[in-house]
Amino acid sequence: MIYYKEWIKTRWFLLLLFLSSNGFAGYAVLRIFRVVELKGAAHLWEVGIIKDSVFIESTMQFVPLIAGILLAIVQFAPEMYHKCLKLTLHLPCSHSKMIFSMLKFGLLAVISCFFVNLLILFFGLQQVFAHELYWHIILTALPWFLAGIAAYLLTSWVVLEPSWLYRILFIAISMMLIRIYFISPYPEAYNGFLPYLTVFTFLLGSLSWISVSHFKKGKQF
Amino acid sequence: MKQFSKIFFYFICLFLLIWIAPWCYAFFSAKNDTPLLTLYSSVHKGFLNITRGDTNGSYWCDDNNVVFSREEADSLLPFFYIRQLITDNRFPDSICGRAFTPHEVNNTNFTFYSNPNLINANTVKLYPLLESQSKRVDLVMPSDVFRTTDDGIEFIDMESNSIEAEKSAKFTKVMLDKGFSFPAKQLSGNPSTRKEYDEGYLVLDSENKLFHLKQVVGRPYVRSIDIPLDIEISNVFITEFRSRRILGLLCDSQHKVYVLNSDYSISLVDIPSFDPIKESMTIYGNILDWTIIIKKDNAYEYYAINADDYSLIAEKTRPIDNNSVFGLHFTSNTDKYVYPRF
Repeated sequence: MIYYKEWIKTRWFLLLLFLSSNGFAGYAVLRIFRVVELKGAAHLWEVGIIKDSVFIESTMQFVPLIAGILLAIVQFAPEMYHKCLKLTLHLPCSHSKMIFSMLKFGLLAVISCFFVNLLILFFGLQQVFAHELYWHIILTALPWFLAGIAAYLLTSWVVLEPSWLYRILFIAISMMLIRIYFISPYPEAYNGFLPYLTVFTFLLGSLSWISVSHFKKGKQF
Repeated sequence: MKQFSKIFFYFICLFLLIWIAPWCYAFFSAKNDTPLLTLYSSVHKGFLNITRGDTNGSYWCDDNNVVFSREEADSLLPFFYIRQLITDNRFPDSICGRAFTPHEVNNTNFTFYSNPNLINANTVKLYPLLESQSKRVDLVMPSDVFRTTDDGIEFIDMESNSIEAEKSAKFTKVMLDKGFSFPAKQLSGNPSTRKEYDEGYLVLDSENKLFHLKQVVGRPYVRSIDIPLDIEISNVFITEFRSRRILGLLCDSQHKVYVLNSDYSISLVDIPSFDPIKESMTIYGNILDWTIIIKKDNAYEYYAINADDYSLIAEKTRPIDNNSVFGLHFTSNTDKYVYPRF
């Protein structure tokens, strides 16, 4: 039931999110195809191998981050503005289950969107590059998509927080945490750290409970 | 859940504190402690250092703090300042009792640089193999790249993204005939057309044997390089210096440095140790001597080496004023990986 409610609330935004993020992924691939047409594939290979370029960073690097932030705002800002969360928490159901079901809905939405983004990149790059090169690009892009998931969970945490004082503190913490995902410009720099970063990212979902506790206590400042 | 989220929140606060606080301290207390340049002068028989002046820029002085004028420094470092000396018509007939032409000096001057963050990085394991005797003045980038697998070497045509079966089989056969064990463990090459000649790659095979691989008139040139049994090569660097006197530099597991001469003989460089995985090394070489600068954790080590037999002429150490504070870091100067470390 709660999933249906979330779907009704976000469906038009999800359509827009799906179209725009996949549009960016498609554009990143089309730009590569265009360079192949103009300068030849060999030129791109040389740039990728010798200059260590991953080609898609200017198009794709911050798309998942923005997508995660916007989805959390669209999903939770109306709840807080219209005080709907109060109604949700009055339903005869476990509070944590309700909140985490809402988060689960949002997470499934961003993850499926990012998955399609990655599929577009994967199949597009496969047309031009050998597996060493396209995996190099995909592995470099994975932390950006994890940043998108982290951005969704952290923005939810911030938006669900009723007190502005805590909200400002949480925004500062969130910005520092998001920095971790963009700390190195080097390709494949996160390879060894990715499994731990993935676990850490999903654990960020638990922070929303702090905001909900504040909400239940009626904290205003 | 409430308990867990609170503990996780405090963990994040602590984590950010030990990451951001030392970073802020380092950011606001940063001072420029990088030494400008130190070179050995065969004319002066000692090291000369560029030193920052209090008011008027930098100047050259020796280890006894004797200051030299710009013109004096030019004459004390004739190989380094050869262009200035030629422009001023001051290039000497002989240096340290030996007559050199400017052409000879230009040909033998070189700079070599090794940084651990170039080694400790995830790179694409595809390598362009240039034609080393193209019969053209300029080198040309090839239309294919190669990879090594468990079974052999594979050339991939970049335009069609397909394997060149015939060329791959030809190179694999020659390499296997020469005793190469696939896959390659380490390759060092300089795939660029901005050089005077191409020597292909120095390759360590899976059994740690050293080979020289290049392409000559479309055919494979594979040479097994004999290394004494007690030396276990850990890192190879192809040099392609203008003089063609040496083919590369080698480091072994004991952190000794060797020169691989162009006749495939090896000579030990008389420096105590260099670990390319952790330390950076810069070499300024000329026809008489090499100045080797090694940056260690706590000091810069300077060595002057005789360019003929690689024996040690002089050495000195400059401690690094380490003002870093304890804290969490995600990146390092010695690698290109991201992970939390103290």
